[in-house]
Amino acid sequence: MPPRLSPFTVARSIPYRSRVQSQCLPRPFAKPALPQFRPYSDSKDPPAADNSKRFDTKPLPHVSEEAAKTAEIMGEQGPDIGKGTPVEEAVKGDKATQEKLPKVMQDAIKAKPNNSAPKGSRSYSTTTTSMTDGGGLDLGLVDFNTPTKMPEIPGLKFEMPSLPLPKDGHLKHRYDAVIDQVTNLLMRHGQKSVAQRNMSLILQHLRTSQIPTINPARPLIPGAPPPSHLPLNPILYLTLAIDSVAPLVRIRSQRGAAGGGVALQIPVPLGQRQRRRTAVDWILNAASKKRNNKGSGKGGFAQRIAEEMVAVVEGRSGVWDRRNGVHKLGVSARANVVLPKRR
Amino acid sequence: MPSSVCLRVFSQLSRDRTALAAAAPRGLLPALPASCFSTSAPRCANPAPKKKNMTAAPKRGARTLNVKKGGKGVAQDTSKRAAPGERKAMRKRIVLSNNNALEVRSLQDLDKPSALSERHEGQVRGIPEDVVDSLRAVEAFKPAQGWSLFRRPATLMRKQTMQLAQLLKDAETTDGEQRKTIRRVLVGERMSGKTTLLLQALAMAFLRDWVVINLPEAQDIVNAHTEYALLPDSHPVQYTQNTYTGNLLSQILKANERILDTMSVTTNPTLPLPLLPNATLKQLVQLGVSDTEASWPVFVALWQELTQPGRPPIMLAMDGLAHIMQDSEYLSAEAAPVHAHDLTLVRHFVDHLAGRKSLPNGGMVLAATSKSNAPASPALDFSVQVAEARQSRLENIPSWNRYKRVDERAMDVLKDVDVIKVGGLSKEEARAIIEYYAESGMLRAKVDEGFVTEKWSLAGMGNVGELERVTVRLRI
Repeated sequence: MPPRLSPFTVARSIPYRSRVQSQCLPRPFAKPALPQFRPYSDSKDPPAADNSKRFDTKPLPHVSEEAAKTAEIMGEQGPDIGKGTPVEEAVKGDKATQEKLPKVMQDAIKAKPNNSAPKGSRSYSTTTTSMTDGGGLDLGLVDFNTPTKMPEIPGLKFEMPSLPLPKDGHLKHRYDAVIDQVTNLLMRHGQKSVAQRNMSLILQHLRTSQIPTINPARPLIPGAPPPSHLPLNPILYLTLAIDSVAPLVRIRSQRGAAGGGVALQIPVPLGQRQRRRTAVDWILNAASKKRNNKGSGKGGFAQRIAEEMVAVVEGRSGVWDRRNGVHKLGVSARANVVLPKRR
Repeated sequence: MPSSVCLRVFSQLSRDRTALAAAAPRGLLPALPASCFSTSAPRCANPAPKKKNMTAAPKRGARTLNVKKGGKGVAQDTSKRAAPGERKAMRKRIVLSNNNALEVRSLQDLDKPSALSERHEGQVRGIPEDVVDSLRAVEAFKPAQGWSLFRRPATLMRKQTMQLAQLLKDAETTDGEQRKTIRRVLVGERMSGKTTLLLQALAMAFLRDWVVINLPEAQDIVNAHTEYALLPDSHPVQYTQNTYTGNLLSQILKANERILDTMSVTTNPTLPLPLLPNATLKQLVQLGVSDTEASWPVFVALWQELTQPGRPPIMLAMDGLAHIMQDSEYLSAEAAPVHAHDLTLVRHFVDHLAGRKSLPNGGMVLAATSKSNAPASPALDFSVQVAEARQSRLENIPSWNRYKRVDERAMDVLKDVDVIKVGGLSKEEARAIIEYYAESGMLRAKVDEGFVTEKWSLAGMGNVGELERVTVRLRI
C-alpha cells in the first residue's frame, strides 16, 4: 500500500505542459491536510503495551500495527505505522462498530457522500486559468488603481510616466483583447463597423438580461465573480462565457501514423487565442442552429449570440458537450503524444 | 388538317393583298378574318408530358448530398423564421427599465409645482411614473434611445430645457385676455437630443396638466401606409386619414384620460354618430376611437371643445418636420401627388405652426427636425437659416436663390417661425450626466475632470448622443 497521506496530492491535470510557469497555478489550491492523529514521536510502543513476558497474555496491538504485522506475515506491504490510523478508517465497513461511534463521527460518515465529487465527474481537471499578470480576471475597472508616481529624476526633459501605464494607452491595443477578437470573428465580408455594432448590441443584451443561475455541473473558470456581478460587467460576462467553454486541446489526425489506413489522433495543446477562437466558432454555430429564434432583422443576429452566451454561462448550451467530447477524446488519445527525448 | 388549310388560306390571302395593294388605298383593304391565325389547334392538342426529374428544391434545413470538397465551414442557418409582424414588434419594442442597473439614490423626480423651476438646471431628474405612462402612450420614447439601460427614465435638464420651461411658463400666464401661443422648431446636429428635448417638453406639459397631442413621427402620416379619403365639401380638396386619426385619438385618450374625463361637451358638434347629452370629452373621443369613419369629425369637435374658454393649455407637437414639407406619397384621383399640407391632420398642425390659427387658452406648438431620417427640404433649411440669422440679429439675412425650385407652401408656413438650437452640452452638464451613468452602474470608471473632458471632446464638444455612445454604449 502506498503511504496514506502523500504531500504530492496536487493533481497534475494533463500530462503535457507548454511552459514551466504553468506549474504554479494562480488559483488557490488546497494544501494537503495535516494528519489529525499523530503518535508520540518518542514512544515506540503503544501505551497499552504490557510488561508481561508471555506472548499470549500480551494485549492486542493497535489495529494498524496488527494489520502491519499481518501484512508482514503474508508478505505484503501493510499500513505505515509511523502515522496513526484515523478511527473512521479503522471502523470502515464494520457496521456494528460504527453504531458505537460518537454522534459527530456518525454524522461525518453519513455526510461523506455529499462532499465527494458528483457522480460522473472526471478525475482530471479540464480548466485552465490565464497566465497573464496576477492571473485574475479583468474586472473592468478603469483607473481605480491609482498609478504610482515616479520620483523626480533631475535631467529629464519631461517627467517619467506614472506606472502602470494606462490599459488603453496603446492605440492599437486600446480595447479589451477578448472584445477585439470576438468582434473580428463576428465580422462578415470585412464589415467591421457592422461587427462592432453587433458587439455593442451583444454587450447591451448581456447587461440587460437577468442574473444567470450557474449550473454546478458546468462550473465556470476558477476565480469567476458571483453571478450577480456579471450583468453589470458585460465584458467580463462575455469573457467568462468564452473562456469557460474554450477547449484545451484540439485533435490532430495524423494520416498514416497508425497504419492500416487509420488516422492517428493526436491531441495538440492550444494557445489562449486559439482556444477562444474555437469557443467563439462553436458558439456562433450553436446560435445559428438554435430553434425558435425570435427575429432575423437588425439586431437579431446579436441577440441570438447573446442568448447563446447566457446559455453557456448557465450551462444549458450544447457547446459544453462538444467541449467535453473533445477533452474526452484528447484524454483517450494522449498515449499517441510522442514527447521529444530528454537528453 | 386544320393547319394546312390555314396555310393555304394565308398564302392566297397574301397574294390577293399584293395584288390589291397597288390599286386601293390602305383603308379600303378588307378586314382579315380572325380564323386565319387560330390558336385552337395547339390548344386542343394533348398537353405536353411532364418533364421527369423536376423536383422542387430541397426544403431549407434538409440534408442534401454535398460532394463539394472542403465543405466544412459554418453550418446553414436552420432556425425557424419569425412569424409575421414579430420582427417589427421587436424593432419597435420600447424597454424603459433595466433591473440590473443600480438605483440612483440621489435622483429626484420632477413634480407639478417645481416642474418649470430653474433650480433643475444642469441636474438629472427622474420622470414620475404616471408621466412615463402618458409619454409611452403618445409614443414619445423612441426605440433607438438608451432608456433600456437604466433603472427608470430620467433626463438631464439642460440649458435648452430650461429655455422651454420658461416658454411653458409664458404660455401659462395670463396677460390681459389672450394667452400666448408659443411656436418653435427644434433644430440641431444629429444625435444632439432634439427628440429628447421634445420629450422633456411633453413631460413638463403632462406635469402641468396640459392637454398633449403628439404626432410621434411625421413620416408615418405622409408615407401612404394608411388609407385616405376625400374630405367632403372641402375647397381646395383635402384628404382625411381615418385609421391614422382614430389611432391618434386613442393615444390622446390614453395619455390625457384624467383631464378629458373632467371636462364635458359644451358645444353642439355635428357628428355622424349619436352622442349622449352631457357627455364628457372622454366619451366624445371614445366615439372616434370605436368608429374610425367618424374619427376626423370627432377630432374637429374635440379641438373645438379644447379651444373653448376656461380649458387647459394645449401642447401640439410633432417629430420629423421635414417629411411634411413636401409632397406626400398619396395620389389624387388624377394620379398627381397630394401635397402633405392637403392632408387634414398635417394642415391642422401646420396652420398652428405658421400662426394662422392660435390657441386661445395658451399653449405651445413644437416641431422637432431630424437629421438622420429626413428628406431634403430646401425650404425648411432656408427658413431655419433665416430664423437663426434673425435671432442673432445679423445684418445680412440670407435670401433665397431665385433660380432654385421652392416649395411655396412650405416656405409660407415657415416664414416667421422661431427656432431653438440644440447644441452640445456644457462640461458641467456632461459631468452631471456622466455621474448619473456611473451611479447607475453602467459606466465603470472614476469620473474626474480628465475623464469628463476626454469624453466631452470625443463626443464632438458634448453632443449628447455621442457622449452616450462613448460612455455607456460600449461601442468598441
